[in-house]
Amino acid sequence: MASKTSTKDLIFDPVFNNNPIALQILGICSALAVTTKLSTSLTMSIAVVVVTACSGAAVAMIRNLIPGSIRIIVQMTIIASLVIIVDQILKAFAFQLSKELAVFVGLIITNCIVMGRAEGFAMQNSVKDSFYDGIGNGLGYGLILMIVGFFRELFGSGKLFGVTVLDKVSDGGWYEPNGMMLLPPSAFFIIGIFIWVVRTWKPEQVEEA
Amino acid sequence: MPHNKDSLPNTLIVATVLCLVCSTLVSVAAVGLKSIKDRNILLDRKSNILAVAGFESDQIKSAGGIDELFKSRFDARIIDLATGNDAVDQCKAAMEGAGKVLDDVVGDYDQLWASKSKKDQDWGKKNDKEPICLRLEKKADIAGIKYRENFSHVFILKSESGAVDKYVFPVRGMGLWSMMRGYLAVEPDLQTVAGLTFYEQGETPGLGGEIVNEQWKAKWTGKQIYSDGEVLLEVCKGDQTNNEYGVDALSGATITSNGVTKMIDYWMGPDGFGPFIKRQKTEAPSSASTLKASKLGGNRG
Repeated sequence: MASKTSTKDLIFDPVFNNNPIALQILGICSALAVTTKLSTSLTMSIAVVVVTACSGAAVAMIRNLIPGSIRIIVQMTIIASLVIIVDQILKAFAFQLSKELAVFVGLIITNCIVMGRAEGFAMQNSVKDSFYDGIGNGLGYGLILMIVGFFRELFGSGKLFGVTVLDKVSDGGWYEPNGMMLLPPSAFFIIGIFIWVVRTWKPEQVEEA
Repeated sequence: MPHNKDSLPNTLIVATVLCLVCSTLVSVAAVGLKSIKDRNILLDRKSNILAVAGFESDQIKSAGGIDELFKSRFDARIIDLATGNDAVDQCKAAMEGAGKVLDDVVGDYDQLWASKSKKDQDWGKKNDKEPICLRLEKKADIAGIKYRENFSHVFILKSESGAVDKYVFPVRGMGLWSMMRGYLAVEPDLQTVAGLTFYEQGETPGLGGEIVNEQWKAKWTGKQIYSDGEVLLEVCKGDQTNNEYGVDALSGATITSNGVTKMIDYWMGPDGFGPFIKRQKTEAPSSASTLKASKLGGNRG
């Protein structure tokens, strides 16, 4: 399917038409956990883009050598190594953010999107296509994270990227923050609304009942 | 495509080569970045000590950075928690017994490592060495820390004239989900809280996680710790602005709030820094009463 598609399609298709979270409902777990703030959402998105792109390229590079019997383990090993490296780099150069993301960077390993793209795409496609596909899917995931993070930080803490937008009552302002927005379930509502909006805009995504 | 890609030898070769390549990459990243990571952690702790002692970020900048300011203003000490005495040499010897040779004991002693090492009284007896931490009985372990190190840092902030300006104690306690690690700054009277901060915690964001909220932390300033030698300071419900022994609890975070109370209770009590505080009070009777009065006057009611 992919040999004919252009780079642009590879990158932007997963963002709107075939979004890993909104259409495939993959990678929900971390989308709930790290989206209380935009800064953590952004870091997490970048980390996932890097890991999906590099793991896709690495798997595609050796796809003709990987024995079928251990292919999942091989993919996991590559993904896990990349995630550890990303985690180390964050700890060295973005210490505060890595403290806030804590265990969730490590949990990229179990993010279904990364694994799904390695097994579903990179095993059959060229290095270049797999790399772009990884970027695309990472961006699709990142888009949702940023949207969820935007609403959760704005309504939960009255801030955007840590800058106060709505003055909270506890800081002497007028805005009573919505405590539920700080808890993981609120992400479900936002993702649900997002899926609704996307499927109203692109009705072909609606599954047959 | 090689026809034998699914053969047993090929499977083994791929697995071995992959493991070697991946482990090399991971090790290079881990070892290569280790010094930067360690420096970050130390810097983060120091910046927390500075913050709890009341330094603003522009003050730190004008003083030439965290390290410079820390070096010039703080007198870092190591004390024996059981006696409250300075114990730099004992600590060095005990750590060497535990297999850690420290050149600069005061700077390099990692008391979190010591408390996690499980080299407790039983270990000491078995190996005929000085234990570096103390396993706590369930009853005595009110803060939920399980092991308490025998030697602790105390950071003493000196004013320009050399007099003691603040004491900063490392404290920790179990909250709802996590060990909350932080620093408690106390005025020279060893009775009035100057500030409380946490550099590591994993409480529920927005609820218990609000222990790092500046507004909440500010409520600690000026509160009193002891009454008749007992730790009375606690986190309790409702407006506590008129109660000098109480800090308003965080709503929706009862267990975290209780954890903070128990943490203060433990570390300021006889099993924590109690002996050190007692010693300081008898050795250098400061102008405690006048300070207390001025602090309370400044406390917006």
